[in-house]
Amino acid sequence: MNAEINVTAEQTIVVISGRIDTTNVQEFDKKLKPVFEQKPARLVLDCAQLEYISSSGLRVFLILQKTVMAYNGSLVLRAMRPEIKEVFDMTGFSSIFTLE
Amino acid sequence: MNKTLIIQNEISELNRVAAFIEEIGEELHLSPALVMNLNLVLEEAVSNIILYAYPKKMGQEITINIHKHDQMLVFTLTDEGVEFDPTKAGEVDVTLSSEERPIGGLGIFLIKKIMNEVEYQRIDGTNVFTLKKEIKE
Repeated sequence: MNAEINVTAEQTIVVISGRIDTTNVQEFDKKLKPVFEQKPARLVLDCAQLEYISSSGLRVFLILQKTVMAYNGSLVLRAMRPEIKEVFDMTGFSSIFTLE
Repeated sequence: MNKTLIIQNEISELNRVAAFIEEIGEELHLSPALVMNLNLVLEEAVSNIILYAYPKKMGQEITINIHKHDQMLVFTLTDEGVEFDPTKAGEVDVTLSSEERPIGGLGIFLIKKIMNEVEYQRIDGTNVFTLKKEIKE
């Protein structure tokens, strides 16, 4: 798993690659923490290179969504692979998140 | 096909479980989406055992057997830890909004959603968790 962070005036983009699972979810959480502590108005997670996500990873996404909503920001999940989208559909996460 | 993987109750062992599923996927020519779903199921089921079956006891074994019977892939997870029936975990309401959605509880939900049959038995001090998935070739 890798998360590359690009901050511009308009938005913050986090490019996620690899696998998010029980073995590395804490590391992922740690990488994202300073990002949402900055309260970016628009936060984009680029998921094109995200290969796998387990329920522990979904939990971090849900916390992120709740956090961003609490400060009235917007969170967008971009370019998710079909097999990842399937997991979001199964869990009802597709209707919770803004997918692009 | 009949394969067995024996792991220790450590989170890092989940990497071996993932590799095991990949190997089975290749051997049976399963689609990437199915391999990912099976990986999800095994990770959820096995991580529960790793985290809760043997409180404060390292070096304990968890056995993962997979065999194919006709069109059915059968996964059998066994451990000699604390009695725990994962099929009894609560239901998840997937229609709730993000504010209402509780954090967690998704693991067992995903297992039941992805697999065709799940069954738990306690046999002579052993937890036996059987998960079946029909595959179309």
